[in-house]
Amino acid sequence: MPQLGFVLQWVVKALAVVLAITILNFFLIRLAPGDPAVVMAGEAGAADQQFLDQVRRDFGLDQPLAVQLATYVKNVLTLDLGQSFRTGRPVADMIFERLPATLLLTGTAYVFALIVGPLLGAIAAMRPRSVFDSLLMVVALVFYATPIFWVGLLLILVFSVQLGWLPPFGMQSMIPVKGALASTLDVIRHLILPAVTLGLFYIAVYVRLTRASMLETATLDYVKTARAKGLPEWRVATAHILRTALIPIITFAGLQAGHLVGGAIVVETVFAWPGIGRLAFDALFQRDYNLLLGVFLISALMVVFFNMVTDIVLRIADPRIAGRA
Amino acid sequence: MRRRTTMGLMGRLAAVVFALVLAGAGAARAEPQQGGTLNSTLWPEPPGIVIGIHLNAPTLLPSSKIFEGLLTYDFALSPQPMLAESWEVSEDGLTYTFKLRQGVKWHDGEDFNAEDVVYSLTKFIPEVHPRSRPTFARTKVTAPDDHTVVLTLEEPYGPLIRSFDVIGAPIVPEHVYNGSDIRENPANRAPIGTGPFKFSEWASGEYIHLVRNDAYWLDGRPYLDEIYYRFIPDSASRALALETDQVHLATQNDIELVDVARLAAMPHLEMTTKGWEWGAPISWLEMNLRREPFNDVRFRKAVMHALNREFIRDSIFFGLAAIPTGPIHSSSPFYTDDVPTYEYDPEKAKALLDEMGLEAGADGVRAKIGLLGLPYGELWDRLSQYIRQALGEVGVEVTIETSDVAGWGSRISNWDVDMSTTYLTTLSDPALGVARSYITENQRKGVLFTNTSGYSNPEVDRLFAEAASEPNEDKRRELYHQVQKIVADEVALAWLVELQWPTIHSAKLKNVVRNGLGPNDNFAEAYFEE
Amino acid sequence: MEFLKRFAENRGAVAGAIALALIVVMAITAPLIVPIDPMSTRGRPLLPPGGEFAFGTDMLGRDVLAGIVHGARISLMIGLISTVIAAAIGVSVGAVAGFFGGWIDDLLVRITEFFQTIPSFIFAILLVAIMTPGLTSIVTAIAVVTWPPIARLARSEFLGLRRREFVEAAVLSGVSRFRIIVSEVLPNAVSPLIVMGSLMIATAILTESALSFLGLGDPNRISWGYMIGAARTVFRQAWWLSVFPGLAIAITVLAINLVGEGLNDALNPHLKGRVRIQT
Repeated sequence: MPQLGFVLQWVVKALAVVLAITILNFFLIRLAPGDPAVVMAGEAGAADQQFLDQVRRDFGLDQPLAVQLATYVKNVLTLDLGQSFRTGRPVADMIFERLPATLLLTGTAYVFALIVGPLLGAIAAMRPRSVFDSLLMVVALVFYATPIFWVGLLLILVFSVQLGWLPPFGMQSMIPVKGALASTLDVIRHLILPAVTLGLFYIAVYVRLTRASMLETATLDYVKTARAKGLPEWRVATAHILRTALIPIITFAGLQAGHLVGGAIVVETVFAWPGIGRLAFDALFQRDYNLLLGVFLISALMVVFFNMVTDIVLRIADPRIAGRA
Repeated sequence: MRRRTTMGLMGRLAAVVFALVLAGAGAARAEPQQGGTLNSTLWPEPPGIVIGIHLNAPTLLPSSKIFEGLLTYDFALSPQPMLAESWEVSEDGLTYTFKLRQGVKWHDGEDFNAEDVVYSLTKFIPEVHPRSRPTFARTKVTAPDDHTVVLTLEEPYGPLIRSFDVIGAPIVPEHVYNGSDIRENPANRAPIGTGPFKFSEWASGEYIHLVRNDAYWLDGRPYLDEIYYRFIPDSASRALALETDQVHLATQNDIELVDVARLAAMPHLEMTTKGWEWGAPISWLEMNLRREPFNDVRFRKAVMHALNREFIRDSIFFGLAAIPTGPIHSSSPFYTDDVPTYEYDPEKAKALLDEMGLEAGADGVRAKIGLLGLPYGELWDRLSQYIRQALGEVGVEVTIETSDVAGWGSRISNWDVDMSTTYLTTLSDPALGVARSYITENQRKGVLFTNTSGYSNPEVDRLFAEAASEPNEDKRRELYHQVQKIVADEVALAWLVELQWPTIHSAKLKNVVRNGLGPNDNFAEAYFEE
Repeated sequence: MEFLKRFAENRGAVAGAIALALIVVMAITAPLIVPIDPMSTRGRPLLPPGGEFAFGTDMLGRDVLAGIVHGARISLMIGLISTVIAAAIGVSVGAVAGFFGGWIDDLLVRITEFFQTIPSFIFAILLVAIMTPGLTSIVTAIAVVTWPPIARLARSEFLGLRRREFVEAAVLSGVSRFRIIVSEVLPNAVSPLIVMGSLMIATAILTESALSFLGLGDPNRISWGYMIGAARTVFRQAWWLSVFPGLAIAITVLAINLVGEGLNDALNPHLKGRVRIQT
């Protein structure tokens, strides 16, 4: 059962990575200057010694570091991510509340980019150095080079402030609209600008990657053979070139998927999108250790998970890899 | 002298009429109308909504609609009846007797009585309320009957009469909390109070929903049917929500100060800076007096002369600030402006530095110091930038140090800093909110919001102590005037601005800011005009 | 001069090189072109572009043009230094792994993979916050999150070169391993590394701008990302505060990318048109 072995190997690897990340972050965050008890005191507008002691006791901050770490790791293994220092609520709850928003935003941008990017790139590659190709490559390069938050601000300026077509911030109207269809449309309207902002960057990457990959494949011998056999150009492009050229795209897409949570942090800030990236940023500034550790853990899990998915997809797309493993 | 305040039905009626007159011409003409949904912003999402267990600004706003105190305070911070219908303070200042309102019910239908007050002041507050704990540690609380509560003191304590508002001393139900672990009580997520609005729902990440308390003790109140406190994480979206009338109320720092004038000018919105008298926030530049050159008063005076506080008020706080003269906020009944003042005069600053022997070197630099800015966002970053620039012009090279909230708090409380910016609420009485930053006894390393600058003057200590235990208001005022003169002359802190938090609300929403608690009032009288 | 000729054939690369040269000159001569402190108040706050201030003034009355010119120094400096550090770490790790192989290789590959698993931007934010925002912390954070791809590239290059005859010969003749790595293998692996490094400078500049935008920049120095971040709340009232610095970043990053691609085509003709993209 080679498949079973493969899965087992992955599970062991994933566990090791997650454990390592948990330990790393645990220490990193505690190296930082600043005492979470003092932050909470600031939030509460009061700080007598009794309050500080209370907070430290409540969250086990008075325990030795090793004990805190052991407790944390043990809890993580039992899927208990602890309580947020600031709100006292379970960390897992807070993350899972925010996760859908982030997945909606990044997923939309990602899928959109994965469809549009390779398509445009492939068209460009079929007519290298044509006007379309040159123009597309310039545009892609420009978006690749432009800070994503700046693109977001410009889009808000044009489409929300000047034209008033789309809402600039948030995920839904302040007063929720009634009805399933209306509220879905409401979310979609809010989704467009942030998803396009994020999507433009991804598209730029995929366009360039696809074009380069296809041009490289096109010079390979078996493609030349296919052409020599007189197959129509579109058959050559789709059946022979694209299939091979997809491999680096899949690899890259897999890597990207894992980083979706972290990648959206800037866009979520610009558009006040109520997702997990924003949560992580706030948690950091409030020294909400448990919450931050939770966000990191989830992000790392996603990376590990998508790496595995990528591997599986690659085995299907490219039998040579399966043979090698 | 024996003061006595009672308010019967007629008195209450008169108060309502008076409030309506105060609320402006429009309100006075129209009869308040029943009904309507108030949408307010609230940010950040609070950690909890029971005042006392949490004291964060976003906790107070919804919680003050659910819970009530024995008293409330008008704009001049004079006590007004709330759950206590009347009260007496004995001449020696040692006995406070409260007559409680009758017929008040908790949201779960139980009767409110003296036991609840005794429990709140002797168990609940000492256990959870860090700010009021020391105040009520001085008192002994008894209930001679179901509707009378008596507080006795060992020695007079001036600020006590200003300590009974819903924020300083919320009254919680004894039958719900007694015998339980207060912090873990399930009622903390669905609180039960006596206020005009009842808790309905907390949709995490979205809103807190309050509904009308039909059994409220004041007939016909509240006018509003429900209140939604909506969590809107971005200030620009909050502004947009006000603009488009999706929310009707925003306050404190909900709206970036740069945006306030634009919103205030809109015909469908109104803006006021009143209603934060109980908090009276002052921002200052704190210098570590344990270090050179800050231990030299001439340096501190030079700093005051080098800063153009009009520029700070106008260009950084966009006019939503006033220039303070000393440690006590100008809205306080104990304030005086008869103190040494420091006008913007860089030449004078340079002269003072010369006098100290801090001559400019070849590069024009006289001294190099660090500045730890308050990490509360862009406004405070700009303030640090300005201070760096202004002091640079008189030859003091400032390096801005940044930090997150945690690092900022640790460094200030551990005295590990040259200069820092901050703001602090000076509260309803100088003994509660002002003395803590100046008296020697309150230099407590590791604890934030204490005397972290290291200022120490035995005369100031004596005056603050005397004023706190002086029952006579006029004498207290005299003592605080003396304190202000000394402290301002010694520039214990470089006071920058009195913050004037704006409250922006829909023009149709009336009776929003009615007293010194402003948006933290219970909103029993707020209503929408057609 | 085959290389220069090939580079000059690529019009984009030449345009990029010219633009980049101008930006570098601007950065170096900033105190001469705009001889004022970009952090000082020069006029009324929020003056629109035109008139005395070509690019307007910001909320504290600081000259935006001065900020753009002086800000170039920070952006380029951070991009360059962090990439040099990342390259040093990456090449060392990759070289050792690729050259020695065996368990050392295994271990280093694991470590590299581990670092690639950490969501890099959140990791960078975390590092800057822990070390408190400043030039050093930003440079360190960017270097720490960007070295793994270099390590992988270096490893694969070294792995290939290790088995080549001239290396084997050197090993047999008793030359020290360090000498072989530095003087025999590295020069042969250098051209793909240069290409990747040049593109990484662009990425580093973008990362710095995003960190500054989020308020994690060095508050004592003007930088483009900081300018945009500081103006975010007033961008409806004062578009010029975000538009000009944004353009500056975009043009710089674009120019570096064009040069990087030009280098790629010129140094590795067999890989012409192939883009290396970091994640």
